[in-house]
Amino acid sequence: MIMTVLIPLLTGAAINSIRAHDRSALIVYVVAIAVAGVLRLGLSTARRLVAGRVSLGVEVDLRNRLYEQLQRLELGFFDRQQTGQLMSRATVDLQSVRFFLGYGLIFIAQSLLTIALAAVAMFVLQPGLAALALAPVPFVVLIANRYGKHSRPALQEAQQRIAELTAEAEENVSGVRVIKAFAQEERQLDRFKGSVQRVFDQQLYATKIQARYTPMISFLPSLGLALILLVGGRMVIHGSLTIGAFTAFYAYLLMLISPMRTLGYMLSAAQRATASGARIFQILDRSPRITAPAEAPALPDGSGRVTLSGVGLTFEGTSRPALRDIDLDIEAGSTVALVGAMGSGKTALVSLLPRLYEASTGSVRIDGADVRDVDLVSLRRAIAVVTDDPFLFSATVHENIAYGRPDATREEVERAAQVAQADDFISSLPKGYETRVGERGLTLSGGQRQRIAIARAVLADPRILVLDDATSSVDASTEQEIKTALHDVMAGRTTFVIAHRLSTITLADEIVVLEDGRVAAHGSHDELLEESDLYREIVEKGMPDQVFMTRKAAEAVGL
Amino acid sequence: MRLVRFRLRQGRGRARKLRGLIELLAPYRWRVFAMFVALVSATAAALAPAPLAKLAIDDGIRRGDVGALDLIVAAFLVSALVYAVASYAQTYLVGWVGQRALQDLRVKLFTHLQQLSIGFYSRNRAGVIISRITNDVEALDQLVEDGMATLFQSGLTLIGVVVILLVLDFHLALLTFLALPILFAGGVIFRIASADAYRLTREKIAAITGYLQETLSGIRVVRVFGQEPRHIEQFHGLNEENRAANMTTVNLNAIYFPMVEFLSALVTVEILVVGGFEVINGNASTGVVFAFIAALNNFFDPIQQLSQLYTTYQSGMAALDKIFELLDEQPDLVDPPGALDLPPIRGELRFDEVSFQYGVGDDAAYALRDVDLVIPPGQTVALVGATGAGKSTFAKLVARFYDPTSGAVLLDGHDLRSVTANSLRSQMGIVPQEGFLFSGTIRENIAFGRPGASDDEIRAAARAVGADSFIAALDEGYDAEIGERGVQLSAGQRQLVAFARALVADPRILVLDEATSNVDVHTETLIEQGLRRLVAGRTAIVIAHRLSTIRGAGRILVLEHGQVVEDGTHDELLEARGHYWRLYRDWAEQAAA
Repeated sequence: MIMTVLIPLLTGAAINSIRAHDRSALIVYVVAIAVAGVLRLGLSTARRLVAGRVSLGVEVDLRNRLYEQLQRLELGFFDRQQTGQLMSRATVDLQSVRFFLGYGLIFIAQSLLTIALAAVAMFVLQPGLAALALAPVPFVVLIANRYGKHSRPALQEAQQRIAELTAEAEENVSGVRVIKAFAQEERQLDRFKGSVQRVFDQQLYATKIQARYTPMISFLPSLGLALILLVGGRMVIHGSLTIGAFTAFYAYLLMLISPMRTLGYMLSAAQRATASGARIFQILDRSPRITAPAEAPALPDGSGRVTLSGVGLTFEGTSRPALRDIDLDIEAGSTVALVGAMGSGKTALVSLLPRLYEASTGSVRIDGADVRDVDLVSLRRAIAVVTDDPFLFSATVHENIAYGRPDATREEVERAAQVAQADDFISSLPKGYETRVGERGLTLSGGQRQRIAIARAVLADPRILVLDDATSSVDASTEQEIKTALHDVMAGRTTFVIAHRLSTITLADEIVVLEDGRVAAHGSHDELLEESDLYREIVEKGMPDQVFMTRKAAEAVGL
Repeated sequence: MRLVRFRLRQGRGRARKLRGLIELLAPYRWRVFAMFVALVSATAAALAPAPLAKLAIDDGIRRGDVGALDLIVAAFLVSALVYAVASYAQTYLVGWVGQRALQDLRVKLFTHLQQLSIGFYSRNRAGVIISRITNDVEALDQLVEDGMATLFQSGLTLIGVVVILLVLDFHLALLTFLALPILFAGGVIFRIASADAYRLTREKIAAITGYLQETLSGIRVVRVFGQEPRHIEQFHGLNEENRAANMTTVNLNAIYFPMVEFLSALVTVEILVVGGFEVINGNASTGVVFAFIAALNNFFDPIQQLSQLYTTYQSGMAALDKIFELLDEQPDLVDPPGALDLPPIRGELRFDEVSFQYGVGDDAAYALRDVDLVIPPGQTVALVGATGAGKSTFAKLVARFYDPTSGAVLLDGHDLRSVTANSLRSQMGIVPQEGFLFSGTIRENIAFGRPGASDDEIRAAARAVGADSFIAALDEGYDAEIGERGVQLSAGQRQLVAFARALVADPRILVLDEATSNVDVHTETLIEQGLRRLVAGRTAIVIAHRLSTIRGAGRILVLEHGQVVEDGTHDELLEARGHYWRLYRDWAEQAAA
C-alpha cells in the first residue's frame, strides 16, 4: 500500500526533474519507480497470498465448527429444521463471509489508510481548509451507521429466504418420485417460483436500501470538494493563499473520492457478511441440549440391563406426552417385545435408550449407569437400532454394513450379512459387496435395505439391539431365519423388538403392551393372554394375517 | 500442449453460455436499457470532478474570476448530484435486472430438473443437484452484481482515456499500448492456468453440499451408531479439499493481479524515459508529456479493475459451465411431439411383449422379460414374488417412470410413450414404498395430488383410511405441521397420510407398492376397509404381501426372475398346486407354528 502511494510521488519527482532538464535525476527517479514497482509486485503478491489464506482459513474453520456443532446438537433440533436450511448456512452464508474477508476487508483497510494519509497531508498543508474539507466526514459516519442498522436485518432476511429456497429445492429433489407419481410438477414449480419471488423481493428491498444510502456516502465528500473550491478559490483570488499551495492541497482532496466510493460499496458487502455471520452464529451459539458431562466415563461393562424409572417424555412443540410414568426393569440378555397401537409410544421409548431424546422426567439406566452420566459415543455404540425404513449411505454394500465398525474385515461383514439373511442377494448384485447403494447407487427394495441395516447393526456388536419394525418388508420365512440367526448372536445381550406379527411377539421372553404412552401390561405371552384384555384383542384380531406371502421364489419352486 | 488445447477448448462454448445469459435478460430489455443509461451517466458524472476542478483552477482561480468560479462550483455540485441520482438508479437497476435474471435462471433450472427422469435422479447425488440451484447461482450473483457496474465504468473510462492519450501524443500512446498484447497474452495464460482450478472449486463446494445433505438426512443413523467423529473427520477432509481448490485460485490471482500492477509501473517508467528525454532534447512540449503522464494513471486504473473482474468472471463462468451442464442434460422421457392428452380412461392395461433392463448393454440383466397380458378395467391385480422378481419394475413401467426396453405398455390402447406424462399421472395414484411426505401441514400433504380438494374431501379420505383418529388427537389437527419428511409422525401415521393422499387424488389406476407393511392391527383393519373402498371400480396394481389383500384381489400374478409364471385367482392357483400353492402352504405351516 505504501508503494501504491510512493509511486505517484516518485512520478511527480520525475516530472519535476524533466521540468528541470535534469537527466541524471530523471534516471534516478525512473530506476526508483522500477524498484518500487518490483517491491510492490512482491508485497502485493504476499498480501494477496496472506489475505487469501486467512479468509480461506476462516471459511474452513467456521465450516468445520458448524459441522461439528451440527453433529453435537440433539435430534430434536433436526426435527424442526429443514436440511436445506442448514446446508445453506454452511455454503451460501459462509461464502459471503469468505468473500468479504478475502476482498472487502483489504479494500476497506486500503481505503481507510488512503483517506487517513491524505487527511494528514491536508492538515499539514492547510489545517483550516482541511477541517472544512473533512467537515462532512462525521455525517458520512452517521449515515454509514444508519445504513448498517437498516440494511443488516434486510440482508439477514434475504439470506434466510435463500435458505428457504435451498430447503424447497432440497425437498423437491429428494421427493421427486412422489411429485412425478402425482403429476404435481406444475404446482411444485409454482411453489418454487413463490420462493424465488420471495428471494427476489427481499434482495430488491435490500438493494433499495443500498441504493438509497451508498450514493449519499459518496455524495457528501463531493460537498467537501465544492466547499474547498468555493472557499479556497476565493482565498487564492484574495491573495491569502498561493495557487501552488492550493493545487497541492486540492490534489490530495481528489485522492479521497475514489476510496470514499469504494468504502460505500464495501460497506454493503460488509453488511451482507455480517448478516450471514450472524446466521452462522445462531447455530454455533446454540448449546446442545443433550451432552455428556465433561470427562464422562464410558458406559460400564455389562450385558445390557435396562432400567426405566418414572420415565415421561414430551416432545418439544407438543402438549401431549408421548410417554408417561414408565417403570420397567429389563434383565440383561432378554428379548422384549413392545406391542401397542400406532402412536402408543413404542418408538419413543426405544429412542430414549441411546439418548436420542432426553426423558422429560425420570431416569433411564443401562447396566446401572444413568444415560445422562456416560459418554454419548460409548453409550450409542453399545446400542444398535434398526428401523422400518432404514437410511443407507451412498456407499458400497460393504461400507454400509461396516458403518458402525469401519475397520471390519470382509469376512466379518459377510458373516453379519449371513445373520441378516442378506448374503445371498448381495452376492447376486452386479458387483457383490462392492455394489454402490443408497443415493446415486443401486435402488434396493425395502426388504433388501432392511436386511442390510440388520447386518449393519449386527456387525456393530451392540449390547442392546433395537429392532423397530425392522423386518416389516422382509418375507416371513426370511424373517424367521433372521430371528434364528440373531438368537445366537444376541445370546447374552438384550433385544427390543417392535413388531406387529404374532410369530415375532411370541418369541419374546417378555412383552410390554403400551397404550397411550403408558405401560398397559407387562409379562409373558401366556400371562398376558390371561391378564390383559388389550393384548388378547391384539392377538385375536388378525395378527396371523400379517404374515407375508412373499417367500423366496427359488426355494418355493424347490430348486 | 494437449493439456493447453484441452483447457482452451473448455472455455469455448462460453459464447453460447453468455448468449444464454443474454436471453435471460431479453424480457427486461427496457430495464436493461435504463440500466445502461444509468451506468453511462454515473460513469460520466464520476469522471467529472477532476476536469471540473482543473477548469475551476485554470479559468476561475488563476484568472481571479469569482463569477466563473461560482459557476463551475455549481456545475461541480450538479455533477455530484447527477452522480448520486444516477448511482441510485444504477444500483437499483443492476440489482433488479441481475436478481431477476438469476432468479429466472433458478426457475429455468428447476423446470428443467422436473423434466428429467427418475433415472437421472438415481445417477446423481441430491446435494450436487441442489448445489447447482443454490451455490452456483450465488457465484453468478457476484459476477452480475459487481461485474456489470465495473465492466461498464472501467470499460468506458478506458475507452475515453485511450482516445485522450491518442489525441495528446500519438507516438507515446502507441508505446503505451505495447502493454496491451502483453496483458492479453497474460489473460490467456491466466485463463488456461485457472480454468481447471475454478471448475474444481465448483465441484468441491458441490461435494460439500452433497455430503451435508446426505449426513444431515441420515442424522439418526449417525447418532445411533455414534459415528459423529468419523463424519466430522471426513467433512474436514472435504473442507480441506475445498480449501486446496480455492487456494489454487488465490495463488493464481496473487500472481496475476500484481503482475498487471507491475506492468503499469513499467509503462510509467517507459513513458517517463522516452517522453522525458524527448522533452529534455526539445523534441516534445513539456505540457503534452505532463498531461500524458497524468492521463496514464487513468489508463491503468480501469485495467486493474478489469483484471480484478476477470477473476470474478472466471469463477462465475465456471459456475455457469456447471449450470449449463445440467441444462444440457437431455430429458430421456419427454413427451413426443404431438403427444396425446390421455382422455379420461376406463383403465384397461395391456403389456405387449414387455421386456426391461436397468442400464444398457447386453450384459444388463432383465428385470422383466416378455410379459404379455391384459388387465381389464376395474380389476385388482396382486403381484406376488420374491425380492427382485420384478414386481417394482412392473409397477414403475405402469407409472412410466421408465420406458420398456422392448415391447409396449398400453392403456386403453394408447402406448404410454405416445401420451403426455402429465395426463397419464394425473389419472394414476401411486403409493410408493417410502411414504415421502413434504414439510407442511397434514392437510397440504393429503391434498398434494389434488390441491383444490375441499376440506370435506380431505376429511373423508382421512376417515376412509383410518387416519382421522390420530389426526384429531394432534393439537392442531389437520393444520399440524409434520416437519421435514413428516418426522413428527410415526412410521404408521406417515403411511396413513400417504394413503389418504392417494385416495384424494381419486385416480383411475392405482399402483400400491408394499405400502401396507408398517401399521398395527387396529389400523390394519381400518386400512383394509379403506383400501377396499379405494380399489373399488379402479384398476389396481398392488405389490401385495398380506394374504388378505392377495385373497381379496381379483387376480394374482406370480412373478419370478422377471417373468409371469402364474396368473389366476387365489382358488385357481391353489388348485393348480404350483408356485403360489407352495407359497401358501409354507405360510400355513408358519402360521400354525
